[in-house]
Amino acid sequence: MTDTLLSPEPSLRQSEGLFRVRQLLDNVEARPAPSLIAEPAKLNPPPSKAYFFWLMAPAILLLACISLYPFFWMIYMSLHDVEIGSATWNNFENFTRLVTDTRYLKGWTLLFQYSLMCLALQIGIGVFLAVVLNGSRFEKILVTTLLMPMMMAPIVAGLVWYFLYNGTFGWYHWLFQSVGLLDAKSILASPGTAMLGIVLVDVWQWTPLITLITLAGLKRVPQDQLEANMVDGASPLRNFFSITLPNLYPVLLIAVMLRFMDNFRFIDSALVLTGGGPGNATKILPIYLFEVSFKFFKLGRGAAIALTLLVVTIILGMILVKVFDRQQTRKS
Amino acid sequence: MARVTFRNVWKKYGEFAAVKDLNIDCPDGSFLSILGPSGCGKSSTMRMVAGLEHISAGDILFDDRRINDLAPKDRDVAMVFENYALYPHKSVFENMANPLKLRGQEGARIKDRVTQAAKLLEIGHLLERRPQELSGGQKQRVAIGRAIVREPKLFLFDEPIAHLDAKLRAHMRGEIKHMQRTLGTTMVYVTHDQLEAMSMADQIAVMHEGELQQLGSPREVYNKPVNAWVAGFVGEPAMNFLTCEITNAGGKLMLTHPDFALALKPEQMKCLNGAGTAATVRMGVRPDALAISMTRPAEPAITGKVFVNELLGGDMIVEVELADARIRVKTAPEFAGAPGEACYVTVNRDKWHAFDAVTGKAFF
Repeated sequence: MTDTLLSPEPSLRQSEGLFRVRQLLDNVEARPAPSLIAEPAKLNPPPSKAYFFWLMAPAILLLACISLYPFFWMIYMSLHDVEIGSATWNNFENFTRLVTDTRYLKGWTLLFQYSLMCLALQIGIGVFLAVVLNGSRFEKILVTTLLMPMMMAPIVAGLVWYFLYNGTFGWYHWLFQSVGLLDAKSILASPGTAMLGIVLVDVWQWTPLITLITLAGLKRVPQDQLEANMVDGASPLRNFFSITLPNLYPVLLIAVMLRFMDNFRFIDSALVLTGGGPGNATKILPIYLFEVSFKFFKLGRGAAIALTLLVVTIILGMILVKVFDRQQTRKS
Repeated sequence: MARVTFRNVWKKYGEFAAVKDLNIDCPDGSFLSILGPSGCGKSSTMRMVAGLEHISAGDILFDDRRINDLAPKDRDVAMVFENYALYPHKSVFENMANPLKLRGQEGARIKDRVTQAAKLLEIGHLLERRPQELSGGQKQRVAIGRAIVREPKLFLFDEPIAHLDAKLRAHMRGEIKHMQRTLGTTMVYVTHDQLEAMSMADQIAVMHEGELQQLGSPREVYNKPVNAWVAGFVGEPAMNFLTCEITNAGGKLMLTHPDFALALKPEQMKCLNGAGTAATVRMGVRPDALAISMTRPAEPAITGKVFVNELLGGDMIVEVELADARIRVKTAPEFAGAPGEACYVTVNRDKWHAFDAVTGKAFF
């Protein structure tokens, strides 16, 4: 009986076997431990590389179809003069001509302007709202209400605001005008204010996201540190800047990363609102890219612009990730 | 430095009263320990002093100034938190400098004070590190350092050494007491560990379920507990309680138990007036007020059987089984009674107590 149990059948898992042996030894008189216990458990031979490759193959194939193929096709297009049905090599002309393309360069400037204005306003207002809402009486209801703009398709948001801004019957236009902020023209109609017009829509739609993320972050700010700082002599405002904000940095960095990448990619509402106008006052780079590719059908040049946009987005993203990493390592 | 006075202080969370009608007077420069099990309201009390909790009713005074409505920063207290509450994004130096910086001290003076405090706490070599690079004991020192860089009116220590290991805790007890004596600052020290309170405090406030049970010196609280709850909470190993009847044997009042009948001293009889004869009381006696022997002693003794022996190195705790209870006796480690053997326990009648069986109030 004991012997059969001491050498457990192979199907028995090693740990189970050991457990049963131990159980048994507790009952049996003390005697030299059988070698089975002293021996470390043997690992199965590690699976071969081919095994892993085949496990991943479907995913890689899928990725190749939906992501890698278009990516390389874009690179190919950016190096050629692309007509429907033909593509001729043009010695990097698509790229070299960008350097002298004033509208392209202006597009970058406007994009950064747009993006920074959006981010600054969204972070500022978003964090403020989160701090005000945090722990307030109707927090849940208020947050849910606040989130509504986010649920709306950006293109619909663009249309709604297009009507609200309208110089003839727009309600916001009337409001701005009656408090003396605007002259007779719609906010979107004059080059000086059009950028602000599209920024406001983006802020309206995406500030709730920042609020939501910040609220989550605020719940994790250590209460005891806030209290310690208060006893140390900090005013509530000081407390916010020296304890709450540093604890929010990682969360805010993620928010900034998400929003800046969206600003570099999504142009739905801006396209509906101004389409880059008046003149070129709001022709941020993605809108220009859209025009070049799909209005003038210069697919090669469009691809080149897209590629530069992609590279810059990746570089900025990587910088943010680096900063984020440093924050994390400092914390842990 | 300040005298701290609690005057009819209440703390209510909704309907629940965490602190009920608290009255304590803590003289300038003294060490007050608030002792009680978790949930007794001791931390709420401390947080009210710090300004982290609103005072529901009553007043807290520093010297003669009512501080109820002052913001924490204006109360000029320094607090050490149970989990240290260090700022993880700041170095040890910056952590300790924080209270000075927030009060607008200049750089040179800050450096001076922090270095001085660090020297006192022997953490001078850690100033450049961040809290997460420190051990528990070091963190705790930094937290204390942050409190002593200033000269506050009052120290508030909220179970600061509860998370340290036993050996370090014993060491820190001495250190904190010494530090408080050296600095001469009034200290309010919250703890659930009666040993900490006993060993450090000038005054112990024992709290239970939001009510102050007893306020007194460690000696008073240990030797003259006002009720059975305090008697049971203070002291390790805990006091033995036996339910006895008071019987009158020819004018002499006796405490009678199935296993023994012991006469009261004349002054103790006086204390029992009102209880009368044939009333039930709870007799309380600490393990160190009992003596055990294997031979029947001359004086009246409790007879029982050895249940188990626990050797604690310098002492031995013997658990003795009586007819309906067990009592613990502290004796010398040489005691040789084996479990099951009959033994005799004598009571030091100067050091026993009798409590009202219903209210728990002490007669003596």
